[in-house]
Amino acid sequence: MIKTNLWQRLQPLLRQIERPSRYIGSEWGAFEPRANSDFAFCMVYPDTYELGQPNQAIRILVNAVAKLENVASERAFLPAPDMACAMRKANIPMFSLESCAPLHEFDVVGITLPHELAATNVLEALDLAGIPLRAADRAEDDPIVIAGGPCAMNPEPYAPFFDAISIGEGEESVPEIVQTVRTLRRAGARRKDILRALVDIQSTYVPSLYRQLNEQDAQKQGAWVVPAEDGVPAQIVRRVFEGFAESDAWEPCVVPYVEAVHDRLNVEVLRGCARGCRFCQAGMMYRPVRERSADNIVSAVLRGLEQTGYDEVSLTSLSTTDHSQIEEILQRLNKACEGRGVRISVPSQRLDSFGVKMADLVAGQKKGGLTFAPEAGTQRLRDIINKNVTEDDLFCAIDAACAAGWRRCKLYFMIGLPGETDEDVLGITDLADRAYERMKEATPPEQRGALAMTVSVGVFVPKAQTPFQWDGQITCEEALRRVGLLRHSVRHRAVRISYHDPQASFVEAVMSRGGRNCADLVEAAWRHGACFDAWTELFNEGAWRQAAADTGIDPEQIAAAQYEPEYVMPWAHISAGVSTKYLQLERKRASKGETTPDCTYEKCTACGVCPATNTQNVLARARGAEGVM
Amino acid sequence: MADPRLFRLRVTYSKSGRLAMLSHLEVARALERTVRRAGLPFAVTNGFSPHMRIAFGAALPVGVGGNAEFFDIFLTSYLAPKKALEALWNFSAPDLMPTACEYVEPSAAAASVACPVSTYEALLSASVGGLEIPDTVEVVRKKKRKVLEVREFLVGDVCVSGNSVVFTLQAKPTGSLRADIFLDACIDLLKTNGVAPNDLCIVSINRIAQNSSD
Repeated sequence: MIKTNLWQRLQPLLRQIERPSRYIGSEWGAFEPRANSDFAFCMVYPDTYELGQPNQAIRILVNAVAKLENVASERAFLPAPDMACAMRKANIPMFSLESCAPLHEFDVVGITLPHELAATNVLEALDLAGIPLRAADRAEDDPIVIAGGPCAMNPEPYAPFFDAISIGEGEESVPEIVQTVRTLRRAGARRKDILRALVDIQSTYVPSLYRQLNEQDAQKQGAWVVPAEDGVPAQIVRRVFEGFAESDAWEPCVVPYVEAVHDRLNVEVLRGCARGCRFCQAGMMYRPVRERSADNIVSAVLRGLEQTGYDEVSLTSLSTTDHSQIEEILQRLNKACEGRGVRISVPSQRLDSFGVKMADLVAGQKKGGLTFAPEAGTQRLRDIINKNVTEDDLFCAIDAACAAGWRRCKLYFMIGLPGETDEDVLGITDLADRAYERMKEATPPEQRGALAMTVSVGVFVPKAQTPFQWDGQITCEEALRRVGLLRHSVRHRAVRISYHDPQASFVEAVMSRGGRNCADLVEAAWRHGACFDAWTELFNEGAWRQAAADTGIDPEQIAAAQYEPEYVMPWAHISAGVSTKYLQLERKRASKGETTPDCTYEKCTACGVCPATNTQNVLARARGAEGVM
Repeated sequence: MADPRLFRLRVTYSKSGRLAMLSHLEVARALERTVRRAGLPFAVTNGFSPHMRIAFGAALPVGVGGNAEFFDIFLTSYLAPKKALEALWNFSAPDLMPTACEYVEPSAAAASVACPVSTYEALLSASVGGLEIPDTVEVVRKKKRKVLEVREFLVGDVCVSGNSVVFTLQAKPTGSLRADIFLDACIDLLKTNGVAPNDLCIVSINRIAQNSSD
């Protein structure tokens, strides 16, 4: 239960640090501290406020837990380095925004794991909170620390730091966990009994109730991590929030004072994507596809704008232009918002569903850049990764965008994809150059000076629960060599090449594929000063190198090892619902350059999600009736 | 530009408590959202990026509150000032609360330059006998050093009473001296001269009045 308010001690620090409004809470839409609560939950985003506040998981889960009577449901974000330093000096622990209460006074602390580079931030948060880093070292009174989010698809590198990990969508499971802990704590249950009880909540992984096998035994038994007690499930299958499509698309939200990323009203229009890109974890871990109806979405946007005062709304999902009613939704919203200075945006335009009509519908007002993701430079490689878009799709999308007035375009590619040759790398610049020429043709001569194209290149990171989970990452040297090829082969000066730091992608791959021993690596890296690894200017390569030396773990091997699809990976005890058999089949199809269709447009591909999670695709109406808009 | 078809409503508000920590841009964004939530019939600019027609008074630094700050919002239809104020009340944070609304002439001076003379009251962490005023204050803005002559900006005397300090600064078209920077420089001087404890610091600063230069 929370009892301390740190505000008086915190206040003097705020004059000395950058952007103090990140630490003051009291935003529009934030919950008032609940005076009569007997139990407290805090949701933590392991990065600064600007990055964490717009996060959907924080918003949804804080709201979901707040529905429990007399439970305080609050938020906390990792302070920026200057604030963390000031807090340590003043002996002030990490705190929640609503009550300004120390994190260690909360009964349950939830930390979302949004991406692989947040691992050291998790430890920084726990340390700043004064909570023992490892679950095994926590005392009876310490909070139950739970995790969830995309990285829970391979929870092993984080496993020792958490009491429990919720696999999959948390709308229902997180309140269930909170309620269970509350009931048992009230009854005086001991920590280990509480953890044992959490196993019975569907999709909850309690690492301390499992034991580790060595490689040989793991390959024989089909898992590296096996139950250490009776009644503990051998495989934890991802939770799917079945009521998503029917649930209200208006999810109340906090309106930040600080300019946050995605500082706009975000309305989630659909969940899941069945396009089946073989490198994409999101495409595997959010199935099946569930669309909210146009009525639900339009009503949510209008109420959301009214209640927040935002002047921009984004219709979010993995693939918004795939929504079967997207045209109707945009038409209705454009009409309803006319003359109010409200901008409606659609993230992640898919090349094969962005046509003239779509360009007009999202082109209402200001035109920023448009981003498309062909991912690979040649059709051969696009077939290997099952991207299922063609050069013509790209050119048609560009024609439509330029005709509608866009002048800036960004193309996203990956290098180091399985099966990539130098020819594929050169295919990237070739495609970008020709796309730029196409832009020129589609733009009136007097406006051509404004044209800009950016080619953004990332290094392929093998992700758990995808058909490419068995494929190794190329080395940093090789990545830089291929970037060099790109830079030397691009013909037009207006085509700018930018690339992500291969060292950071390397750490991503290690965290993505590592087993439980990687937790030691993370802890050692953090002790050597690694933190905020996702911030290019703060990424501390030396700390990770030292950590590798200290622990004797070979990170290069983890990132680069190439396995046969029969090899049992460290996350075999976790299932996203997509069967391993399907992943193996997809990997083999990739080798043959065979593509697999999208089951929301064509027939079922037998990925296994629907039977494993007892769900099915929910479409507002049949897809693909109109083709490219 | 004055558009005679629009109604220019001046909203006075206070910036206080925790929200004194907001920057000018953060205040501007928050107030614009308040106007939208309150459903006032605001005008929108023409052009490729239509946005609300709203103009803000002189900026306050991060950490400085204000008792009578103001902004002008251009309305497309007349709304009784009392009605507008009530609508705003319902959608405002307590620490960023509108206190008055009145219509001003469309041709009146822009909100940002209407009141260049600001009076501040600061509370220090301890009582001081008096303050010594430095001749110059060095400021660093965008990595550029600039030395400001205090007497160009300071209007009248600095009144010290216990731990309270009241002073008036005037903004110039060429620039201004920030109240917190000025006061920190005064405190530093006391420390250098050994007449103030080393932990003396500003607890709060508030702009208590804004006036035109006449």
